[in-house]
Amino acid sequence: MLFDSPAYFIFLIPVVIIYWRLNRQQQNVFLLLASYLFYGWWDWRFLALMICSTTVDFLIAQKISANNGDTNRKKWLIFSLILNFSVLGVFKYFNFFADSLSTALDTLGVHNIPLPVIRILLPPGISFYTFQEVAYIVDVYKGRLEPAKSFIEYGLFVSLFPHLIAGPIQRPGHLVPQVQTDRRFDADRFFDGLMLIFSGLVRKCVVADNCALLANAAFGGQLGAPNLWVVLIGTYAFAWQVYGDFSGYSDIARGSARLLGFHFMINFRQPFLSRRLQDFWRRWHISLSTWLRDYLYIPLGGSAGGEWKTSVNLLKTMILAGLWHGANWTFVIFGAIHGVVLGLERRLFPTAVKPGDAAQPRPVVAFFSLWGQRILTFNIFCLSLAFFRATSLHAAIQFLSGLSNFAWRSEYASALFMLSIFSMPLFAVDLLLEASNQEYPFANASYAFRTGLASVALVLLTLFSGNAFNAFVYFRF
Amino acid sequence: MPSSISDSKSRCLLYCKVLAGICASLLAVIEISSIYLLKRHSPTYARISRQYSEAGKIRPAGPGEPANVLMVGNSLLLHGVELDRLRTLTSARMNIYPIFLEATGYYDWLYALRELFRQGARPQAVVLGVGVNYFLADGVRQDYAPMLFFSAGDTLAVSSDLHLDRTATSNLLLAHSSTFWDTRSAIRTQVLSHVVPHLEDLFMLVNQRPTVPEGREFEEIVMPRLRRMQELCEAHGAKLILLVPPTLSAESAIGEMAYAAHKAGVDVSVPIDPAALSANFYQRDGMHLNSQGAVVFTSALAKDLPDKVATHNTLASRPVRQSSSLAPEIADREH
Repeated sequence: MLFDSPAYFIFLIPVVIIYWRLNRQQQNVFLLLASYLFYGWWDWRFLALMICSTTVDFLIAQKISANNGDTNRKKWLIFSLILNFSVLGVFKYFNFFADSLSTALDTLGVHNIPLPVIRILLPPGISFYTFQEVAYIVDVYKGRLEPAKSFIEYGLFVSLFPHLIAGPIQRPGHLVPQVQTDRRFDADRFFDGLMLIFSGLVRKCVVADNCALLANAAFGGQLGAPNLWVVLIGTYAFAWQVYGDFSGYSDIARGSARLLGFHFMINFRQPFLSRRLQDFWRRWHISLSTWLRDYLYIPLGGSAGGEWKTSVNLLKTMILAGLWHGANWTFVIFGAIHGVVLGLERRLFPTAVKPGDAAQPRPVVAFFSLWGQRILTFNIFCLSLAFFRATSLHAAIQFLSGLSNFAWRSEYASALFMLSIFSMPLFAVDLLLEASNQEYPFANASYAFRTGLASVALVLLTLFSGNAFNAFVYFRF
Repeated sequence: MPSSISDSKSRCLLYCKVLAGICASLLAVIEISSIYLLKRHSPTYARISRQYSEAGKIRPAGPGEPANVLMVGNSLLLHGVELDRLRTLTSARMNIYPIFLEATGYYDWLYALRELFRQGARPQAVVLGVGVNYFLADGVRQDYAPMLFFSAGDTLAVSSDLHLDRTATSNLLLAHSSTFWDTRSAIRTQVLSHVVPHLEDLFMLVNQRPTVPEGREFEEIVMPRLRRMQELCEAHGAKLILLVPPTLSAESAIGEMAYAAHKAGVDVSVPIDPAALSANFYQRDGMHLNSQGAVVFTSALAKDLPDKVATHNTLASRPVRQSSSLAPEIADREH
C-alpha cells in the first residue's frame, strides 16, 4: 500500500475514524492489527518474518532486563545483534556477498566455484524495522529504556504503519513512551497532520515523479550518450527526485502519525541549503544519520581518538551507511565518497556549521561565500548520486566520464526547463522553511489560509501527478 | 478549559471539516470535468471510442462479400498505415475496421479483443500489429485502455497475468472506474505542453520503450502469448494474423518474431523487410515511419494482407508462405 495510492487513503480514513472511538488499550490492539494488514497488503509471508523478528526481540529485551549479571546481559545483546543482522544479511546482502566473492575468486584465477544463490524478494522495510529493533535492544541493555511491558506495545513500536516501510526510523526513547501513554485528540495537531500529508503528496507526486522522468531518461540512455548536459540533467533531476520522494514520504508518514496522535521526528531540514557535507547529513535523512551516529559512529570511538581515528571512523560509518541503502558496490562507493569528503571537511574547516546559521543576515561577501558553499555541497552530493543511481560501478563511471563531452541537443533545453519548473518551487519552499523554521510552509498562518493552501496543493496534484506507477525510492531499502 | 482555547479547537475542527468537504467537492468536480473534457476535447478518445464502437458491430461477411477484418495496433500502425489508401487498395477483398491506440501491447489487445468478442464483434480476421517490443512487454497502458478496453473482471485478470501487487491492481481498477484517474497522465501532458517548449520532442526521447529479451526467453514469452490469442480468435471464428511493422535496427527481432509465429501456427505478415528501409523513411525516433515510409508500408501491406485473410480456414494445411525476405531466414532456422 503506497502512501500516494488511493488504496492508502481508503485504508487510512476508516482507521483514523475507528481509532479515535477506542480507549488506549483498544487503540493499541487495533493499530497493531491495522499495521499488520498494511504490511501484509504486500505479501503475507513477509508479515510472518516481521512478527517472528518482533517476538524474538521482545523476549530478548525481557531477558536482558531480568538479568543482573553483565555477562548474561551481554550474551543476550550479542545474540540479538547477530540474529537481527543475520536476517537482514540473508535477505538483503547474501547474493551481493556471494557475487562479490565469486568475482574476487575469478580475479585470483579460481574459477567455477559453485556458490549458492538465494532467489527471494527483499521484504519491504526490513532495513528500517531491523534498525529500530537493534536500537531498542541496545537502549534496554544500556539501561536507557525500560523494556515494553506487553508484546502489543513493543509490536506497535516496531510496526506502527506510518513508519513501517521507509521510516523515519523511530528512536525507542521517543516512540515507546508514546505507545504506553494515553493519546488525546488534538484538533490543531490533527490539522497539522492533514497539512503534512498534502505537503508530502505534492513533494512526491508533483516534484519527484516528474523529475523521475528526466532522471530515468538520462541514466537510461534515452537522452543520448552521456555528456555534460546529460550528466547535469540526470544528477540534478535525480537529486530532486530523491529529495521530493523521500521527504514527501516522510511528510506523509509524519502527517499520518499525527492524525493518530503520535509525534515522529523530523527527517529532512532543507538539505540542499547545506553549506558543507557535515551540515548536509544533519539535514538529510536525519533519523538514519542520528541512528548511525549513536549506534555506530560513537561506539566505534567517534571523534575521541584524534583526527586520523575520527576520519577512519567517519569513513567506516559512511561506507556502512552506503551499504545500508542497497546491496551493491555502487552504494559502497557512494558512502565512501561521503566519508572521504566528511573527513576532509573536518581537517579543512574545523569549526562545525550549525543549522540555522545561514538565516543570519550577512554582508555581501559572506552572502556569496554562503551560496558558493551551498552550491559546491549540492554539486558534490549530485556527483555522488551518479553512484547511487547507476546499476553498476562501470555504468556510473561511464556516465560521469561524459562530463568532458559538451555535445548539445535542443531537447536538453526543454529538459532543463522542465526540471526547473518542478524543482524551483520546492527550492523556494525550502528557503521559506529555512527562514521561518517551520515544518511546512505557513504552518503558523490562519486555518483559512492553510485550508486555501491545501486546496492549491490538491489542484497541483490534479494537474501534475503522473500516471506512471512510481514506487517510493526508499521502499527498496 | 478557557473559552479562547475551546474556540480555537472548534474553529480548527471546523476547518478540518471544510478541508474534507473541499477534497470531496474537488474530486467530484475533477471527475465531472474530466468526463466533459475527454468527450469534448480529446481527439484520442474520440478516435478510439468511434473505432471501438464500429468494431463492436462487425459481423461476418456474406458469400461473395469482402471479408471483414479487425486491425488493431499501436502507434506503429497509426503512423505507418495510411488507412484511406489501404482501404482503397483492398476494398474489393476486405473491409478494414481499425483500432489504433498508441503505446499498447499484447495484453491491452488480448483483453480488448475478449471484450469486443463478448459484445458480439465477429470479424473474419484479426490483424494485430504492435511491434516486437510491445508484444513482449509485461504491461498494459495505464490510461484509456483500462477505461475503454477492459471490463472490471478483465482488470483483475490483467492484474493476475501481470503479477501486479495489490496497490497496482487497485490503481488499475480505479483507472477503469474513474475518468480522472484514467486520464490524469494525459491531463498532465496537456498542461505541460502549454508550459514547456517542444515538450513533444522531449517526451519522444524520455518515454521508455520496452526492451526485447534475447535467446530462449524470447520464444518462451512469445509462443504462449501467440497461442492464447489465437485460441481466443479462433473460438470466435476469426483468424489471427500477426502483422510485424518495420522499425529501424530491429531486423533480427522481427525475424525471431516471424519465426516464433510460424512455429505457433499463426499466420504472420511482414510486408516490408526492415533492412530495405533506410533511416529516411523513419521519424527521428527511428521507430515510427514517416509519411514516405507510410506510403511504402501501406502499399506493401495492401499486397500482402488480402492473401493472408483469404487463407482463412486453411491454416492447418497451409504450407509455409512468407512474403518478405525473412522467409529464407525462417527456413534456415527450421533446418
